[in-house]
Amino acid sequence: MAIAVKTQNLPPIKLIRNVPKEEYYVPGHRTCAGCGPALQYKLVAKAAGPNTIFIGPTGCMYVANASYLCTPYTVPWMHAQITNGGAIASGIEAAYKVLLRKGKRTGELPNIIVMAGDGGTVDIGLQAMSAMMYRAHDVLFICYDNEAYTNTGIQTSPTTPYGANTTFTPPGSAIPEGKTLFPKDAPQLVIGGHPAVKYVATASVAYPVDLINKVRKGLNQQGPAFLHIHCPCPKGWKFDEAKTIEIARLAIETGMWNMYEWEDGVYRYQFRPKKYKPVREYMKLQGRFAHLTEAHIAKQQAFVDAKLKVHGIPVEVPAPAPRTQQ
Amino acid sequence: MARELMLSGCAAAAQAAKLAQVEVICSYPIRPYSAIMMELAKMVANGELDAEFIHGEGEHAQLSVVLGAAAAGARALTGSSGVGVTYAFETYSPIAGGRIPLQMMIADRALDPPGDFGSEHTDAMSTRDQGWLLGWAETPQEIFDNSLINYRVGEDHRVLLPQMVCQDGYFVSHIPGKVVIPDQSQVDEFLPPYELPHPLDPKRPVSHGPQIRPDQGTVMDMQRAQAMLDAPAVIAEVIDEYNRTFGRNYSPFVEEYMTDDAEIGLFIMGAHTMTARHAVRHLREQGVKIGLVKLRFVRPWPTQEVAQALSKFKAVGVVETSTSYGGAMRGGNLLHEVRASLYEVAQRPLTTSFMAGLGGEMVPLKDFYYMADILSKAVKDGKTKKTVYWVGFEAED
Repeated sequence: MAIAVKTQNLPPIKLIRNVPKEEYYVPGHRTCAGCGPALQYKLVAKAAGPNTIFIGPTGCMYVANASYLCTPYTVPWMHAQITNGGAIASGIEAAYKVLLRKGKRTGELPNIIVMAGDGGTVDIGLQAMSAMMYRAHDVLFICYDNEAYTNTGIQTSPTTPYGANTTFTPPGSAIPEGKTLFPKDAPQLVIGGHPAVKYVATASVAYPVDLINKVRKGLNQQGPAFLHIHCPCPKGWKFDEAKTIEIARLAIETGMWNMYEWEDGVYRYQFRPKKYKPVREYMKLQGRFAHLTEAHIAKQQAFVDAKLKVHGIPVEVPAPAPRTQQ
Repeated sequence: MARELMLSGCAAAAQAAKLAQVEVICSYPIRPYSAIMMELAKMVANGELDAEFIHGEGEHAQLSVVLGAAAAGARALTGSSGVGVTYAFETYSPIAGGRIPLQMMIADRALDPPGDFGSEHTDAMSTRDQGWLLGWAETPQEIFDNSLINYRVGEDHRVLLPQMVCQDGYFVSHIPGKVVIPDQSQVDEFLPPYELPHPLDPKRPVSHGPQIRPDQGTVMDMQRAQAMLDAPAVIAEVIDEYNRTFGRNYSPFVEEYMTDDAEIGLFIMGAHTMTARHAVRHLREQGVKIGLVKLRFVRPWPTQEVAQALSKFKAVGVVETSTSYGGAMRGGNLLHEVRASLYEVAQRPLTTSFMAGLGGEMVPLKDFYYMADILSKAVKDGKTKKTVYWVGFEAED
């Protein structure tokens, strides 16, 4: 069966001033001040350009963007249930393949991008996402990870960090740390079991040029690609809305978030600090961790240290030895 | 030239999909409908049908894949049975509310528990209020015809609704019957290419499914309701054209059999109609004034046609092959609708219902004779004893 031809080669950019001026995610939406997910959406849309179709599973980027029959997209956009972003995208891609093959549409296969939150990616949306990756659809699946179900009132998701205070993991005398589990690793889930996937990357709103280039690399692939974007959420994480970028940077500098690309089996790392800062510096700025004790923070530090080892990232500054107390 | 083949309901359904030149198909295995997908998979593999055949990871995904495909502008088909139908439930309202006219072929099956492969209407009946066209076929020929008719009606811009084209599991889906298959050119003339008013196309950007304010909800619900109100005229028009083009003789909504001067009547849909028809003929030979009314569409429900057809009887027995636990009639779903349809009729017939064919059980002639006895007694007594009889499980009546 013929595969629809995609010849596009969206070029990488070097500097922030090379970011395209055109907006495909326009102002007028209703996201919170300092919203990380909204910022990445704007950058992703710029990177992808006009020949794009967005699929938006339910989440903040549905509820706050598509309010009252108004949407901020100047390219086609379709709502998906929080469950089925990957499946709806699969259908759209399949339709375009057959319509292009039959001459019912002309031009290139559009960039088909699922813009899913963490719940729509690795929780209730996991099945549809995984199946889309397995079936080799030419779709870029983006997880804008703000580490909780936030538009429903800040409930824990599988990517919510250990120790976070969410409305479903409130700290109390019986469960002092709030969330007791460690998060699912979205990109590793994709890399681990989907032979059709050629490109997986992590990105952050703190580094827009890198983000744009990763989006373009994913879109230039013929086949499925996955992008995991770290998106601080002032409301959900309880920090000053002016500090979104600072928090995003600190996540990388402490090893809480790791920036890398995985292409044809090879890892390449970006923004790897020479010396990792202790996770405490990241956590102390966020109200969701305010209740944690030193022992809890040490547990988080140990988790990060272990993760960095798995990734082959040397832990150059091990965390201060946890004090046993409380 | 039209061909005449012996085909099971599943094979006939696949032939209809092929002639409709569906462009995106999404499968997931569950008996008995999976035989439709097995046929289509072969057609795609052999190059007889140029379509994308996608293996969904479940029924929810099946419906989601075809929703995406149909929203992008491709004629799309999926299908299911039993718990597969209910697993996909979340998607039914977004598809109908989004006015995406895709087709779902159902070979029905009892819901769990316990695991039961048998036919029952409850699976698709449980979706009846979501805004899908819904109806059962009696034979492989009828399922073939209903598929093409439903594509044409659903895709009509006056309607724009998805369609559940149902057949009874095994009784229709797996028993071969004579099917006349028309030429591609004839079908092409009847069924124009799929065209959605607002497909997802970067050359003409649109947004599908944004959030609304509460006060916008009623308006959208009213539009969906209006589509259902507008559908009957389109159905009548399309079936008239279908009959003329392909030499069939369908009534759009209800088909009557031996209803002239009948005093008692059976109201039924789907596979068991065939046995019921035989029972009616035998009873007529014995002098029982009985007739039969077969329902072809559950949605849109043909209120006027049902009222008209049933008001000529003194007593009507509704054959229920679905359950409505705790419902007003204590049995299935159809009697609710039948009684509502008859409410405005001055000379209302007595009505009751017969639970029959549940879990895939056969409904043999003797069961219909039993129903006729109950109805005759009701006429004699001038009243019905109760609203539901579990056929075969009642104490002597």
